[in-house]
Amino acid sequence: MQRRVVITGLGVLACNGIGKEDFWNACVAGRSGIKRITRFDASALPAQIAGEITNFDPEALGLTPIECHLTDRNTQLALATANLALQDAGLLDTLSDEERDEIGVYMGSAMASSEEAEWLWAKMTNRGKHAPRNTTDEFIPLTLLMTHAPAAAIATHHQLHGPCLVLSTGCSAGADAIGQAYWAIQEGRADRMLTGGSDSAISYAGLDCFCVLGALSTRNDDPERASRPYDLNRDGFVMAEGAGVLVLEERELALARSAHIYAELIAFTSNSNAYHMTALPPDGAPLQHILRQALDEAEISMNQLDYINSHGSSTPYNEAAETVAYKAVFGEYAYRIPISSTKSMIGHAQGAASAIEAIVTVLALERQIIPPTINQEVADPQCDLDYVPNVARPATVKVALTHSSGFGGVNNALVLTQPDWLDTHT
Amino acid sequence: MKHTTERRVVITGIGVVAANGIGKKAFWQATREGISGIKPIRRFSTADLSIKVAGEVSDFSVSDYIDRKLANRTDRMTHFAFAAMQEALSDANIVLEEENPQRIGSVIANTFGGVEFAMEQVKSLYVRGPRYMSAYTAIAWLQVANVGQASIRYGLQGYCKTPVNDTAGGLEALGMAYSAIRRGAADVLLSGGCEAFLHPFSLNLLGQLSEYSYCATGDNPRDYRPFDQRATGLILAEGAGICVLEDYDHALRRGATIYGEIAGYGQTNDANGPTVPSSNGKQYARAIRRAIQEGTISLKDIAYFSLDGRALPPSDQGEAEALQLVFGADIEQLLVSVPRTTQGHSYAAAGPIDTITALLALEEKVIPPTINCEELDPHYGLSMVQDDARPLTGSAVLIGARGIGGMNVALAVKKI
Repeated sequence: MQRRVVITGLGVLACNGIGKEDFWNACVAGRSGIKRITRFDASALPAQIAGEITNFDPEALGLTPIECHLTDRNTQLALATANLALQDAGLLDTLSDEERDEIGVYMGSAMASSEEAEWLWAKMTNRGKHAPRNTTDEFIPLTLLMTHAPAAAIATHHQLHGPCLVLSTGCSAGADAIGQAYWAIQEGRADRMLTGGSDSAISYAGLDCFCVLGALSTRNDDPERASRPYDLNRDGFVMAEGAGVLVLEERELALARSAHIYAELIAFTSNSNAYHMTALPPDGAPLQHILRQALDEAEISMNQLDYINSHGSSTPYNEAAETVAYKAVFGEYAYRIPISSTKSMIGHAQGAASAIEAIVTVLALERQIIPPTINQEVADPQCDLDYVPNVARPATVKVALTHSSGFGGVNNALVLTQPDWLDTHT
Repeated sequence: MKHTTERRVVITGIGVVAANGIGKKAFWQATREGISGIKPIRRFSTADLSIKVAGEVSDFSVSDYIDRKLANRTDRMTHFAFAAMQEALSDANIVLEEENPQRIGSVIANTFGGVEFAMEQVKSLYVRGPRYMSAYTAIAWLQVANVGQASIRYGLQGYCKTPVNDTAGGLEALGMAYSAIRRGAADVLLSGGCEAFLHPFSLNLLGQLSEYSYCATGDNPRDYRPFDQRATGLILAEGAGICVLEDYDHALRRGATIYGEIAGYGQTNDANGPTVPSSNGKQYARAIRRAIQEGTISLKDIAYFSLDGRALPPSDQGEAEALQLVFGADIEQLLVSVPRTTQGHSYAAAGPIDTITALLALEEKVIPPTINCEELDPHYGLSMVQDDARPLTGSAVLIGARGIGGMNVALAVKKI
């Protein structure tokens, strides 16, 4: 009998909400967290808006002063979110040494510590005036620059001795981490996994490297309405920071401790565009392929799919390609599946985005409400499906899928169900 | 939910770029003979740096592998990856056009991203302004660049991943690729790691003198001395190692030459914070046991153990302790080596290069030596292959890697 994997804890930090309830309430209310950038002076850039978490207090969320000193903001977001998730799972401070040996940490991060790298480079070169040299006697923790720091820091904080790594597959990184963690539990490499994604790169270079690609929205005067996936007037994604962590647990263990089970993860599929570093082909062929593969892997038919939480990044090409792919895979049924994009409210939190979207999908299954895609004002004839416009919708959601497409060309999909759905349908 | 089957995973092609040799022939000859590629750094001035020597790849011409346009849009790390991929694909004698592209992918680890490309563009931004940053900055900078560009160039439409795990990332990449093929998520994966972080910016940080420092500093190219009484840390290097991993039946069907199989993969974490690998070997021992059990390997099968060899007393102590825990009194019969002493530590590329060394060692029936370890500390109790290569008996090699952040990874390869 193959080991089954359930979700028993959720933690999230996003620009529209700190913690699961705050975040979920904001999403159901359709509240945007996008504002003008305060983190640095963005006046020289074409894009001056972002999803910043303005009220993040790391120590209040359980970080030690040493952790605050040694880690970058990305890692701090990850640590705080992992604390929330473990607490939510009822596993904070209750684990035995034997249990900790079988708990691992897989996290996704796209931008890693680029903000700190930029800051250190500016310091070491006096903003580009000379070659890098250590201008101060101050020791700079190397952890500030380590892409794998979020996973390693979580493992250290909670003394978790299972598999531990970071995946850096662009905007698909968080869901990739979740998928790999799911496999690790299935394969018996761990019993529980803390998994998700984190990113924070709201900096001069972090923004500009996407500005020069023409990828960011420049709707600077109207930040809350800037991220508008599927809307005709979408003009690029909005950079955001955030973190999402889930506790994945082998099902028998969760049942034995009478844990609250949010959902079951039943399939993970992924592939690569082999087309372009930043875009899907217009026919969305790679997305078509993983959607079909996800249905096949989950052994479900399309009419069993009650909800799709999409990638929906608010870029002109992405949503057109997505919609073509949905129609190619689902045919007429594509019009009957509610599809929504969380990025309309929280922007694009890069490596964290797909993990936060997995959390939204899990909560939709638990609470039977589909959060909306906000800022749907002018219909795009190329995007004519049911994107749950502007207002949350009560619905029967038993099986749901979330998918992501990433910078670098990596796409993935996760299929989730209500806790006991599989037993009543096999 | 579909049930997965367990398939066998073999290696049918290898490609390597290392300081002591580009291409498997030159690399193997140097590694077997104990010829070091560690020299004074030549690509930039080290006058202001505490680190003066490294395993720098010299005589590397990117135009031998990719055109100028692609070379200009990618960082040196990706150039190395392309060189190693090209060799590995040609070595595997695989015709990609005849394969189902959706069943082929890549898993390539990297630690630091495209440092050189990124820092140059950050400089453009700060000195000249936002419009002067290259549109390829993010594309060349992020670690995912390597698998993204590989997919485009070779039409790899399947499973593609980018693990990042400090000095253990490359071995994780091979482990992940092994798991993916084993469970049927792909048939063929280009897997390994690449690294090119020898840059004044990174060396400034890595060479800081403090309790966290773990690189040998100074100008002696022989200072990478794992398990030696004088050990002061590793010497940094750049390079790439790529293997073609393949479902065994798939390899048999196309009549491929098989180096060996990946038989086991174990991972644990010391959870000891941002310090050097732990002096406590307990968790590392669990990772090694997992790899051994998964591969059903017995002591007499093991030709040698390719050690992490951090070359810092506490970490070396932890590694020796892990072996004691796993092998007990039998540790005397276990030959160990750190052939990487001839190349330096190329972070994410290191594990795959160690694996390539192991596969060539099994093929040539020779254990490559550890160099610079003239004063082996006897209290570790290790049977080290020092100075000169030794004849190899046995059918399997265990490869270990540890990283800052507590990661322990073990991989088992063996002859089919």
